Amino acid sequence: MDEFLFLRQEVAPALMSGLWMSIRLILPSAVCGLALGVLVGVLRIYGNHFLKALVGTYVLFFRGFPLLVQLYLWYFGLPHVGIYLSPYMAAVIGFSLCSAAYHSEYVRGAILSIKKGQMMAAKSLGFSHTGAIFYIILPQAIRRALPGSGNELIYLIKYSSLAYMVTCIELTGEGKILASAYFKYMEIFMIVGAIYLLMVSLATWGLNRLEDFVAVPGFERIHD
Amino acid sequence: MTADEPILVVQDLRKRFAEKEILRGISLQLHRGDIKVLIGPSGAGKSTLLHCINLLLPADDGRILLHGRDVTGFRKRRVYEYRQKVGMIFQDFNLFDHLTALRNVMIGLVRVKKIPKNEARRRALRELERVGLAEHADQYPAELSGGQKQRVSIARALAMEPEVMLLDEPTSSLDPELTGEVLTVIQDLAAAGMTMMMATHQFDFAESLANEIIFMEDGAIVEKGTPQKMLYAAENLRTREFCARIHGYWENPER
Amino acid sequence: MIGNGWKEALEGLPYILQGTWVTLAVVFGALALGLVLGLVLAVGHVYGKPAVRRGIGLYVWFFRGIPLLVLLFLFYFGILGALKLELSPFVVAIIVLGLISSAYQSQIIRGAIKSLPEGQMKAARAIGMSDRQAIVFTILPQALRLAIPGWSNEYTVILKDSAVTYALGVAELMTRAHHVAARTYQHFWLYILVGIIFMVLTFCGTRAMAMIEKKVAIKGYSR
Repeated sequence: MDEFLFLRQEVAPALMSGLWMSIRLILPSAVCGLALGVLVGVLRIYGNHFLKALVGTYVLFFRGFPLLVQLYLWYFGLPHVGIYLSPYMAAVIGFSLCSAAYHSEYVRGAILSIKKGQMMAAKSLGFSHTGAIFYIILPQAIRRALPGSGNELIYLIKYSSLAYMVTCIELTGEGKILASAYFKYMEIFMIVGAIYLLMVSLATWGLNRLEDFVAVPGFERIHD
Repeated sequence: MTADEPILVVQDLRKRFAEKEILRGISLQLHRGDIKVLIGPSGAGKSTLLHCINLLLPADDGRILLHGRDVTGFRKRRVYEYRQKVGMIFQDFNLFDHLTALRNVMIGLVRVKKIPKNEARRRALRELERVGLAEHADQYPAELSGGQKQRVSIARALAMEPEVMLLDEPTSSLDPELTGEVLTVIQDLAAAGMTMMMATHQFDFAESLANEIIFMEDGAIVEKGTPQKMLYAAENLRTREFCARIHGYWENPER
Repeated sequence: MIGNGWKEALEGLPYILQGTWVTLAVVFGALALGLVLGLVLAVGHVYGKPAVRRGIGLYVWFFRGIPLLVLLFLFYFGILGALKLELSPFVVAIIVLGLISSAYQSQIIRGAIKSLPEGQMKAARAIGMSDRQAIVFTILPQALRLAIPGWSNEYTVILKDSAVTYALGVAELMTRAHHVAARTYQHFWLYILVGIIFMVLTFCGTRAMAMIEKKVAIKGYSR
C-alpha cells in the first residue's frame, strides 16, 4: 500500500507534467492547423493556376507521407540544410502542417458543396470576390466542414503521442520513462490510456456542442 | 442628362460557351420606368443576357453603357459599384442560407455599402415590410416558402437602391399557387416607377405590365414590340408560332 | 550538406524496399483481422440486444479513443508481460492495428447496413429466411459493396499507421529507413525516399480498391 502511495507521488507529477506538455503541443497545432487548413482549402478552390498547383502539391505530400516520417524530416532531416529545430518546435510544426492538409480537404469539400448561386447572389449585390468568400461562402463552408475537421482534431489529440518519437516528452513519453523505471507497464499505460480517452471524450463532447451551437435551422445538407 | 436618354444601353453583345454562340449580337435600350419582358424558348439566351448585363458573365464582344458610361471594361471596384446599381433576382432565389431574412437584406448594406448596423437594420425592415414579410424577419430561408424566399430576395436587391432591376424568371421555380404573391410585389415595384427587364414565361403578367416584349431565339432578338402587337399581331412567323404553341395566343398562326 | 547525399541514400534503397513486404504483411494482416472482427461487431451493433450494443459501443469508443502508440506499448510491454506470453513485435503490431481497425471498420459496415432500405430485411423474412440467413445472404452482400470506399480510406490510414510500429522495432519500411540513416547520416533524403515509397503504396492500393469496386458493382445499383 505504501508502495502504491509512493508511486502515486512519483507517477502523478510526472504524468501531469507530461499531460501539460501534451496540451502545449495540441492547442497550438490545432489552431494553426485549422487556420492554415481553411486558407489552403480556399486557395484550392479560388486560387489561380499557380497557387492551385502549389497547394495541391502540398496537400498531396502532406497527406501521403506518414506523420511519423514528416516529424522525422523536421527533426532529423532539417539539420542537413542547417535548420535545427527543438523537439517541441519540430513536433508543433509537423502536427500543424500535416493537420492543415487534412483540414483543407474537408474545407474544400464543404466549399464545393455550396451552391454556385450563393456566390452569384453575393456578387450581384456588389460584394467583391474576397468579400463574398469571407462573408457568404466561408460561414457556410465552415459549418459544413465541422464534422470532418472536428474528427481531425480528435486525431491530433491521439497523434500528439508521436512527439515522444522526436524526443519531446509529453504524456506518452513520461509514461514510458516511468514504466521502464518501475517495470509497471500495465498500470502506467492503462492510466495513460485513460487520460487520452478522457481528453478525446471531452473534445468529442465539446465539438458536438459546437456543432449544435452554430447550427442554423434546416441548413441544407447536400450530400449527393 | 435629359429624361429622354436611356439609363442602360446594350450594344451588339456577343457571348460564346465553348463552340456555341449563346448571344449573337444583342442590342437594346432601357429608359427610366421601362418594363421590358424577354420571352423565348429555353436556350434562347435570355438568362445569359441578363447575367452579362450585370457583368456576372463577361461578354466576348459588344458594349454595355450605364448613363452613357461604358462599363464593359470595368474591373474590381468599379464593377462592384456598378452591380449595386443593377439589382438582380434569380430563378433559384439564392438567399444566403446561413442568415435570417432580415440579415439577408442587411448584409449588403453593412458589408458592401458600409452602413452602420442600426441604420442598416432600419432600412432592411422597411424593405421587408414593403414586400409584406416583416413578421418573418427572424426566420431562416429553410423555414420560408418559395414565394416568401423570392420576396425576401427582392427586398434584398431593393435595399441596395438600384436604378435598374433584372429579373431572371422570378416565378419559374415556384409552385403555381405561390407565384401570385411574387407577381404582386413586382407589380407594385413597376407602379412605383422601377426600371425593369424580366425574363419570364408568365404571359398574362407580361401583357398587363410590360411596355415592350422582346422575343429571343437562338441568341438573337427575333422581334420586339408592344404587348398588343407581339401577342396579337406579330409580324414574324416564329414569334406567332412561339406564342401560339405555348400560350394559346393565336389560333391560326399561319394566317 | 544535402548536396550529393541522395546518392548515398539511394544505395540503401534495396535494403529499405525489403521492408515493403513486412509493411504490407502488417497492413493486410491488420485489415483482415479488422474486417472479420468488424463484421461481427457491425452485425452485433445493428441487430444485437441492447446490452450487446452497449458493449460494442464501449469497445468502439475505447479503440478509437486511445492512441496507437500507447496501445502498442500497453500490449507489448504490459499485457504480454502480465499474461507471460511472448509474441514478436510483428504479431503484436498486427493484433493492435487489427483491433483498432475493427472498431473503425465496424462503424463503416454498420453505416452501410443502416443505409439499406428496411424492405430488404422484411422481404428476406417474408420468404422464410431466418434472421441469420437474411443477414448473410441479402444484407451483407449489399452492405459490403457499399463499404468498399470506406476500406480504401482504412487501407491508407493503416498503411501510414504501420510506420508507428517502428517504435516496437518491427522491421518494416520506417525502421529500415532509420537503420540506413543511422549508418549514412542521410536522414533528409532517406525519409523523403521512404515517404515517397509510402505514397506509391497508397496509390497502388487505392487504385486496386477502385478496380475491385468496379468488378463487383451491380449494374444500375445506385444509392
